[in-house]
Amino acid sequence: MPRVTFEDIIKSYGKLTVLKNLDLAIDDGEFLVLLGPSGCGKTTLLNLLAGLLDVTAGRITIGDRDVTDLDPKDRGLAMVFQSYALYPTKTVRGNLKFGLAAHKLPAAEIEQRIAWAARLLQIEPLLDRKPAQLSGGQRQRVAIGRALVKKVGVFLFDEPLSNLDAKLRTEMRLEIKKLHDELKSTIVYVTHDQIEAMTMATRIAVMDAGVIQQFGSPDEIYGRPANLFVAGFIGSPAMNLRPATLSVAGGKVAARAAGVDLDVSRYGFVSPPQDGQSVVVGLRPEHFGEPDAAVTDPAGNFSLPVQYSEKTGSDATAYLKFGDGLIATRVDPEQIGRFRQGDTVNISFPQGKLHVFDAQSGRRL
Amino acid sequence: MSTGLLSGEARVEAAPRFPRKRKGISGRSIAILVFLSICAAFFCVPLYVIVTTSFKTMEQIREGAIFSLPSPITFEPWVNAWDHACSGIRCEGLKVGFWNSVAILFPSLVLSMTLSSVTGYALALWHVRWAGTFLFILFICAFVPFQIIMIPLIILSSGLKVYGTIWGIAIIHAVLSMPFLTLVFRNYYKGIPQEIMSAAMMDSGSFWRVFGEIILPMSGNIFIVVLILQVTSIWNDFLLGLTFGGLGTQPMSVVLANVVITTTGEAAYNENMAAALLTAIPPLVIYFILGKFFVQGITAGAIKG
Amino acid sequence: MAFRWSRMSPQLALTPAVAITLVAFIGSILWTIYVSFTSSKAFATYGIDFTDWARQYERLFKDKGWTIALKNMLVLGIGSFLAIVFGFILAALIDREKRGEGFFRTVFLYPLAVSLIVTGVAWRWMFNPSFGLQGALHSIGLTFISFDWLSKPETAMYGIILASVWQGAGFYMALMLSGLKSINTEIWSAARLDGVSFWRLYAEIIIPMMKFTFLTCAILLSLGVVKAYDIVVAMTNGGPGQATWVPGYFTINAYWVKSNLAYASAAAALMLGITALIFLPLVLLTAWRERARTS
Repeated sequence: MPRVTFEDIIKSYGKLTVLKNLDLAIDDGEFLVLLGPSGCGKTTLLNLLAGLLDVTAGRITIGDRDVTDLDPKDRGLAMVFQSYALYPTKTVRGNLKFGLAAHKLPAAEIEQRIAWAARLLQIEPLLDRKPAQLSGGQRQRVAIGRALVKKVGVFLFDEPLSNLDAKLRTEMRLEIKKLHDELKSTIVYVTHDQIEAMTMATRIAVMDAGVIQQFGSPDEIYGRPANLFVAGFIGSPAMNLRPATLSVAGGKVAARAAGVDLDVSRYGFVSPPQDGQSVVVGLRPEHFGEPDAAVTDPAGNFSLPVQYSEKTGSDATAYLKFGDGLIATRVDPEQIGRFRQGDTVNISFPQGKLHVFDAQSGRRL
Repeated sequence: MSTGLLSGEARVEAAPRFPRKRKGISGRSIAILVFLSICAAFFCVPLYVIVTTSFKTMEQIREGAIFSLPSPITFEPWVNAWDHACSGIRCEGLKVGFWNSVAILFPSLVLSMTLSSVTGYALALWHVRWAGTFLFILFICAFVPFQIIMIPLIILSSGLKVYGTIWGIAIIHAVLSMPFLTLVFRNYYKGIPQEIMSAAMMDSGSFWRVFGEIILPMSGNIFIVVLILQVTSIWNDFLLGLTFGGLGTQPMSVVLANVVITTTGEAAYNENMAAALLTAIPPLVIYFILGKFFVQGITAGAIKG
Repeated sequence: MAFRWSRMSPQLALTPAVAITLVAFIGSILWTIYVSFTSSKAFATYGIDFTDWARQYERLFKDKGWTIALKNMLVLGIGSFLAIVFGFILAALIDREKRGEGFFRTVFLYPLAVSLIVTGVAWRWMFNPSFGLQGALHSIGLTFISFDWLSKPETAMYGIILASVWQGAGFYMALMLSGLKSINTEIWSAARLDGVSFWRLYAEIIIPMMKFTFLTCAILLSLGVVKAYDIVVAMTNGGPGQATWVPGYFTINAYWVKSNLAYASAAAALMLGITALIFLPLVLLTAWRERARTS
């Protein structure tokens, strides 16, 4: 039974249409991440759900209520903002209390909820401080606390971790995930950071230009990207995408790119491959074999010169010249010595890890 | 060779090998400062003249040395100006005008600041479809000359039986200052981060509650600026007080004008100067104490556009 | 769309402001313009004689007092322009020198804290032929300087201009100062490196960059000139004779002294027209800028 649904949502500003006929159903207890580059419409969608913006057309339901025309405070939602949006003239306690301003609860109940949220988020010693006296991470927690005290079923997060430093971000990621497990509420979370999406989400909606490109679990998104956009967006370093031409001959299908033939005979094509069809093949950097290592039944073998390489302590990437572009391949940092500039390396790509996309539409074949 | 110092080691000061002569103040700076000081003197001359004249006796004034210091110093002009100066046929001094101005200030301030702050808040932070048009109209209204609306306002205020009363003048001040002050408040509230309003909409959604508990506490600065602007403007106003003031309810500047202009026989110049000073002192005091906010008010007002 | 309290409550809160705008401003303006076409005397009459609807305006154009008022307004405007020039010079010097900025700013701005009546009274005293500045100068032998401008019709306006400049220069100085401060400090550094001379820097670079500030000052000044009243009353009360009448004074006089509603309304309507003309460049400029920005 879906907790939140978007039905045929259109959002325009004058002539500019930001969301086009968007449908989405979010299940109860789900941790849904809206992922995409800036301007893709994910924050707009979140604000529509919150009621901070009005739809141009379409319907939004929460639970079994049509909330499309309701004020934000009546929708049974709570939201955590990117800049925390704490009220600067109120103490932490005052901020948490104001979170319940629309709820008309007896004072005892309010105090109880504040105490509960403060304990859960470990901000009890901060209750009498003002936001200006708090660190970024502490403000984060207070913002979450303000949402928690409402005890609603759906929480909205608008890029809450982007203002934190890397270390704090990792900590808070775990905390939010923990909260989700404990409270079992439905979460709608907006971010442009794929790591957050991959680690926290139960399902991800990848968006671009106002359209949901793919909606599925992190594994699905990663393992079977539905189109070129998703393929190139998820994964770091990004998937190598190279134009190729299919040749169908004698029961074997090959994708030819820059002089290398990749055997795609056993690829699960959705519709029969055509000879001469223009495609784009996707090869993830981490799937390349080790140099000069024997790979049983490879899809293709590459013998390419090294252009340059990067080391980041725990990872290393080598960039090899391929056709008129580069191919990135993940390398064990210990092995990076074999990838000196100018060296030619032989690496193979295994079967079953290829992706083929139609060159015209970008869709997965 | 790296020269890191271990903590605890002191650096030995060597005498500099290429000492530089200390540059003195440049000739151009002196010229500028001299010029500015002369201008400053020009600005201070009228003040100096009024002050000295107000403490002189009429005999000394008739000697015609306007720049001389008062000798002997007399406080009589001040006392007379305050208590007996004649404005028309009434000779009750400036004190009548003083208390009238004070009486006008309070209701006028309360009315204008409440009205304008709420209106500015609504226009800045809430979704009102016709806000843009209304703001444009307000902008125009802020500049229309008083004369074009003077007569209807007189008729209206007589109809409401407040014409010639302190409340009448106060209301007129509030009404006429509403467009400008609303724009000032609106511009200030536009500077509040949108996310705070979003959070408030999710938490409370109530227009008045958000105003009272969130926005108003954040408005301290602008309220001081507006307060100073309004106090100065109302205290120094002449035309509105003249038009809407009745006998006995005229503000100080109107009484001053009457005292100075409508005298028969030889004018008591020292009293006139004392009267002018009495009128000028309250806003001057505010200016000298809270000058910073004064400047803010001026630039806020003009650079809104 | 269903009723949403969050849409209604701000609009309800705006009703007093809207009511005031409609009644006290728009309604009043329309009323006054309407009455200017009638022949109301001491009380408003609402019949318009359509064969003679512009008679008040015709009277105005024939009225010597109105002509003088218009002329004086122009003279005052041009003369008061000195306040902008003066204000700019002061601002430029203060900005340049930096030392004593707080002190000078305080001194130059204090006239703004003071009522125009007080200013008028002070300057009127300074212009007193026997006991004012002229008296003092004559007594030390400088008898060729005359400083009794207010007593002669030809020079009375100049006295008012002087007092206005004294009052207003500080205001324009403050505006210019903030305009100057908003100029990127790197411009000054670049000019030093280029070796651009003092005068060229200001003439060719700084002043063009302050265009908007100048325009704002000019418009504010013009609006103030149209509204001029207090200072005239305090310094000369319109005299000698009608020599220092200004449109504001004319209108007030037509209402209170001549008790002629329609006549006063016509004068006020013309004042509004002049204000609108002054506004025109600003409105056009803003509209042009908006279009340039969104295209």
